[in-house]
Amino acid sequence: MKNKTYNKRKICIVFALAVIMIVGLIGRLCYLMIFEAEYYQKKAEALHERERDIKAARGEIVDRNGKVLATNRTVCTVSVIHSQIKEPEKVIKLLSDTLGMEEKEVRKRVEKVSSMERVKTNVDKETGDKIREMELEGVKVDEDFKRYYPYEELASKVLGFTGGDNQGIIGLEVKYEDYLKGENGKILATTDARGIELPDIAEDRIEPRAGNTLRISLDYNIQEYAQQMAQKVMEEKQADKVAILLMNPQNGEILAMVNYPEFNLNEPFELNTGGDVQMDDEKKQELLNQMWRNGCINDTYEPGSVFKIITASASLEEGVVETDDQFFCPGYKIVEDRRIRCHKAGGHGSETFVQGVQNSCNPVFMEVGQRLGSERFCDYFEQFGLMEKTGVDLPGEAGTIMHRREDIGEVELATMSFGQSFQVTPIQMAATVSSLINGGKRITPHFGMEVKSAETGKTIKEFPYKKEERIVSEETCETMQKILESVVSEGSGKNGYIEGYKIGGKTATSQTLPRSANKYISSFLGFAPADDPQVLGMCIIYNPQGIYYGGTIAAPVMRQIFDAVLPYLGIEKTGNGRK
Amino acid sequence: MEQEERRSQGKTDKVLLVIVFLLVITGLVILYSTSAYNGKTKFGDSFYYLKKQLFATSLGLAGMYAVAKTDYHMWEKLAVPAYIGAVLLCVAVMLVGDEYNGSKRWLSLGPFSFQPSEYAKIALIIFLSWIVTKNVKKIGKLGTLLKIMLWVLPVVGLVGASNLSTAVIILGIAVILIFAASPKYAQFVWMAVLGCGFMGIFLALESYRLERIAIWQNPEKYEKGYQTLQGLYAIGSGGLFGKGLGSSIQKLGFVPEAQNDMIFSIICEELGLVGASFIVILFLLLIWRFFVISTHAKDLFGALIAAGAMAHMMIQVILNIAVVTNTIPNTGITLPFISYGGTSVVFLLVEMGLVFSVASW
Repeated sequence: MKNKTYNKRKICIVFALAVIMIVGLIGRLCYLMIFEAEYYQKKAEALHERERDIKAARGEIVDRNGKVLATNRTVCTVSVIHSQIKEPEKVIKLLSDTLGMEEKEVRKRVEKVSSMERVKTNVDKETGDKIREMELEGVKVDEDFKRYYPYEELASKVLGFTGGDNQGIIGLEVKYEDYLKGENGKILATTDARGIELPDIAEDRIEPRAGNTLRISLDYNIQEYAQQMAQKVMEEKQADKVAILLMNPQNGEILAMVNYPEFNLNEPFELNTGGDVQMDDEKKQELLNQMWRNGCINDTYEPGSVFKIITASASLEEGVVETDDQFFCPGYKIVEDRRIRCHKAGGHGSETFVQGVQNSCNPVFMEVGQRLGSERFCDYFEQFGLMEKTGVDLPGEAGTIMHRREDIGEVELATMSFGQSFQVTPIQMAATVSSLINGGKRITPHFGMEVKSAETGKTIKEFPYKKEERIVSEETCETMQKILESVVSEGSGKNGYIEGYKIGGKTATSQTLPRSANKYISSFLGFAPADDPQVLGMCIIYNPQGIYYGGTIAAPVMRQIFDAVLPYLGIEKTGNGRK
Repeated sequence: MEQEERRSQGKTDKVLLVIVFLLVITGLVILYSTSAYNGKTKFGDSFYYLKKQLFATSLGLAGMYAVAKTDYHMWEKLAVPAYIGAVLLCVAVMLVGDEYNGSKRWLSLGPFSFQPSEYAKIALIIFLSWIVTKNVKKIGKLGTLLKIMLWVLPVVGLVGASNLSTAVIILGIAVILIFAASPKYAQFVWMAVLGCGFMGIFLALESYRLERIAIWQNPEKYEKGYQTLQGLYAIGSGGLFGKGLGSSIQKLGFVPEAQNDMIFSIICEELGLVGASFIVILFLLLIWRFFVISTHAKDLFGALIAAGAMAHMMIQVILNIAVVTNTIPNTGITLPFISYGGTSVVFLLVEMGLVFSVASW
């Protein structure tokens, strides 16, 4: 048969159709590969890339003199990759020897059929390097940063510690997380569909950025010494705990904050009570939370007689009392239907206001409190900043527990005037007294001073703490300085006296609730030099056994600390102490 | 003069020869690039697929040479036995075939396995060319049309039982051959309308077929759209000039069995729009050559053989690229000369031999 013209035409039509369709498909290809390319490329890359974090070194925390209080240590994790191990027996032997592990334990890990098995974490770098040098096939040593606190227990509740992801959990580590944490880097590796990294393709690396250095106002030497003192007195008095706080009353910088017993920051999940008593997780967590609490900030207490500084300041400021006003203490005062006793059973007899403060005489303060009245008393309470938080740069500051204004009757007013029936935090007491004796301006207690670059050491940010509004007149302040100096030189605070220094202060002994338990909190608050306070210290002893008077047990602790710290801070003796 | 020319062997079509060799060599290079990873991970030998394909290719080249040197008129006599052979092989594969990936498509002959549907395509081209030529005078009549289709349907049915895509290709070749032989147009329009109707019913019959359409429209929303999507990722990743030969990442297990149906997406990724277009144009040239040979063939039988090969090539290339670019719903069709498949390459080359023979006798 002939291949006729119409046959050819028809084949031509088929061919034309094919050309049209193929050209159409090329068009489709152009669309996909030019206009949609970016979209699919991104999707494909996201599919191929595996991201691995490179941990950023966390910023250091240094004390005011640059001493490193919190840093990082390189630790290693030793793992085995089952499929790559060639000589299992050799690996087991060498690993158990080097890591100091039971051969049985190592064997279990080596022989386990898994993609990767951790043998030991937190191996120090030296050991890690040694294992790496052995070049055992299938053994992997990964380096990692671990937070490290060189002084272990020092200021544990202030500094705080970090968790598994290197994030702050308590203390300054939480508060300054944003400055300290730095930015993790990334390794972007391309993998095949099974997730195996392709060795031929260069990995993208985004370098980690180390966290910044935080410089805090704490002084290592003062903190260390105060901690030793706290430990000593706690052991001597078999107390539950001891808090010692030192700060600069002029600007609110905290020099030391001890909450004894402290705990080891490198092992924050081990109880500091020692022994491994079996307990369930919930109970243990509760005890850990207790252990981590910063009593100076997180817990409130009845301040007792130290609070008389505030009552006195308010009364003097309001003019309801003069320093030489005469009072008479029969050993008690009847308020409504109650007979509220003075701590001195026979009474102090006739005394001036100043002597009343020196004697820490309760009836004098009840009288003064009555003159002030509950309304004005509460006004001053607020004016002095006692109702607000201090704003200290630590998490979890507790607020003041106070009567409602309208609920304050004569009895409440009387007890409040000598520091009972309400609760404040130790930091609040220290901050408020600081503000009353520093010239009369409210300060913000704090640790954070500045943030420095870890690489260049240059200051990136200084934390501003504005000295807030005046809360008391300079005149009242000066009067208070003198009265409180006399408390130490002549009155109940004489155990805080140091020859040659002008030291102001006030003692306190308060019974904790419930009163029937006969537990006491003894405290002393002192500052020096009295006429130009540069340092203010507070020592609180919780539940001491035996003698529990603040003037007897807490004041000597502060004296010893001042004895060392005042010369250390360059505060010179002026010679005219005791009158 | 004319008589003499018809009886004696003329010159080999050099253009076709160059195109075929270009395709075969490019195909092997791309196949190696694409299959090396899968061969390494599955068989521990990155040359695994290439070796098998090389063996099939040399077998095919030998076949092509032999067929090209043979006067194609010999196949007139062998058309019926070839047809019967195709039917028998298709029956055999249904009874004793090997399953792979859930489809019974292979017959084992000792160490070799053989896919009868690939053979069926070429057998059908010869058989149809013969039967259409024989009935060419009555080809315009509906009765003749139906009679010819009646011959085709058993093979379509048998192949379609396990390999729907190949059945569609065979049906397509048949329709194009009859269309080429017939002087009429109208009935083919009706045929197209009818075909579309049947297609609709066929799709609606099984819900999984409709699902394929849904996947086609929105491959990112369906788990089964994975393969399509991975193909698109590969195509999109290529850009204008591609990542370079051997540098595809999608072939590393992301596109499943990258050396099979989806190989074109890897071409796009490695060689870019430029390289992919080059391959497509190579196919277009091949089809153009078939068209030239078909229109220059001395008789209808030869013209139909070349037209059949053209139909085969264009349907497979167009459908494959359309599937890979997600222009149509997914269906398993390989890319001639490039996708991995021994039987396919052997019979493709033999088919090329047939066209060479048509061109030179």
